[in-house]
Amino acid sequence: MATPHAILRAANPTTPAARLVPRHVSILLPCSRRHLSSTSRAAATPAPPNGGTSADNGTTTTPPKPKNLKPLTPSQIDFLSSALRVNQAGELAATLIYTAQTPPVVRREPHLRPLMAHMYEQEAAHLSTFNALLARHRVRPTALYPLWSVLAAGLGWSTAVLGREAAMACTEAVETEIGGHYNGQIRQLLEMVAGWEAEGYDVGDEFRELIRTLRRIRDEELEHLDHAVEHDAQKAEPHWLLTGAIRAGCRGAIWVSEKV
Amino acid sequence: MPSPPAASRSAGAAAAVARRILHPSSLLPPGTTSLKPCLRAATTTTTHAHTTTPRHHLPASLPIPTRTSSRPYHSYSHPPPPGPFTPTESLLLAAAYRHVPTHGFSASALALGARDAGYLDISPTIVPDGVFSLVQWHLVTQREALAARSVALFGDGQKGPNVVASRVEALAWERLLGNAEVVWQWQEALAIMAQPSYVPASVKELAMLADEIWFLAGDVAVDPTWYTKRASLSAIYAAAELFMTNDRSLGFRDTQEFLRRRLQEASEMGNVARSVREWLSFTASAGINVLRSKGVQI
Repeated sequence: MATPHAILRAANPTTPAARLVPRHVSILLPCSRRHLSSTSRAAATPAPPNGGTSADNGTTTTPPKPKNLKPLTPSQIDFLSSALRVNQAGELAATLIYTAQTPPVVRREPHLRPLMAHMYEQEAAHLSTFNALLARHRVRPTALYPLWSVLAAGLGWSTAVLGREAAMACTEAVETEIGGHYNGQIRQLLEMVAGWEAEGYDVGDEFRELIRTLRRIRDEELEHLDHAVEHDAQKAEPHWLLTGAIRAGCRGAIWVSEKV
Repeated sequence: MPSPPAASRSAGAAAAVARRILHPSSLLPPGTTSLKPCLRAATTTTTHAHTTTPRHHLPASLPIPTRTSSRPYHSYSHPPPPGPFTPTESLLLAAAYRHVPTHGFSASALALGARDAGYLDISPTIVPDGVFSLVQWHLVTQREALAARSVALFGDGQKGPNVVASRVEALAWERLLGNAEVVWQWQEALAIMAQPSYVPASVKELAMLADEIWFLAGDVAVDPTWYTKRASLSAIYAAAELFMTNDRSLGFRDTQEFLRRRLQEASEMGNVARSVREWLSFTASAGINVLRSKGVQI
């Protein structure tokens, strides 16, 4: 199976320098698309007046049918809470890795500043998304939050001091693990949705929104993977050791954060 | 102390139970005729207990608990899973709860409640934890009532830096006032909760109360302060609750002052810890930047 970054590279054979121009503005957060709406504000239907109990309002619009939603089973609830908890921990680690990597990498190669800034901004947006989800659904954060903070900053700094290739190899390893991890979560959520639809239940907007969010974030993480490989991640000297160790560490951290 | 001595109360309850068992008419079905609709309800409805459980025997003062004891993910659209009490237990405990202010958290309150609900006096044995279930009923119903009270208290939706802290104090005080009717029985309840087999469930209820108060106050932080805030609020609330059992002031004024002082101390300590952390991080990053400016490759 061709790796995502290989497929994307084959489709867009532009030079690395040109890639720094924000071609990926189009796949930035969906809120940017709202400004391109062609519906004028005046044409949009105004909201009905408060306390509108008049008869002419009642007959034309029917209230939305209440959805028949199945109660969540304990295993589904555990899966959702541990999934959100791990995702928040992962995005926290990613933001700290980029924060720690940026000064040493940019000191040696100033042309990488926009790329590092862009990747950091996307990770920071992911972190605030998951923070909001955790607060809304009353999921507790991982208890090892300070430990992951220290380890992530240490990992980012040490790989950056080793060189740009090592820093990119670290990003490649982390994003590969994270991409696979999000894929597994999306697959499990889609299985839940398929199960409900097979039993004749409706699927709430909450879940559709969650799946949409996870897909978008997974795509952005794979985009980072693509950038890392383009910037010579494969040329890091003990590539197998770096990526192997970092991927094993990520898998261990994911496993622990799901429990603790 | 206004509450009657515990020994005579339990002796009276035991005598009442013995009389009921030995009398032949107690074996006849006056209890079973009212059990049937409840059992039917129990088998057909597991998820909507609060809407379909027959409530012909009791005026509903507080809603029947619908959330389970441990709820790591809260969904806004899916129906809540079944609560910690089955519909039969809920009926019995709700009826027994009305006798707690006079009879305490005791087997006699359970027996009287069973009689009110139309069951046999021996029926409380179906409640697995006996008097602790009655204490747990009080804790769970009071906690779940906080959400409605918070809407009434905070409907204006004010914003500001200290809004969350003031709301925490208001909610903790509301919850303490919920103990007002049973405060004379509360030391006995604490003794029941302190039994080793019930300590985990009691501590869990306290933790869930602290989580509920912070959530309703509008706290959205999901960093390590999530844990420290809930731990400190649990400790403060437990201390205030204990203080309240010996409080004789009008409207439990002294307890309110006690709560205010403890919350003030906790927030001051939080400020100190945050200031120290900020100072350390600023100093560390300033040191690293100075070294970088001198040419050290870090």
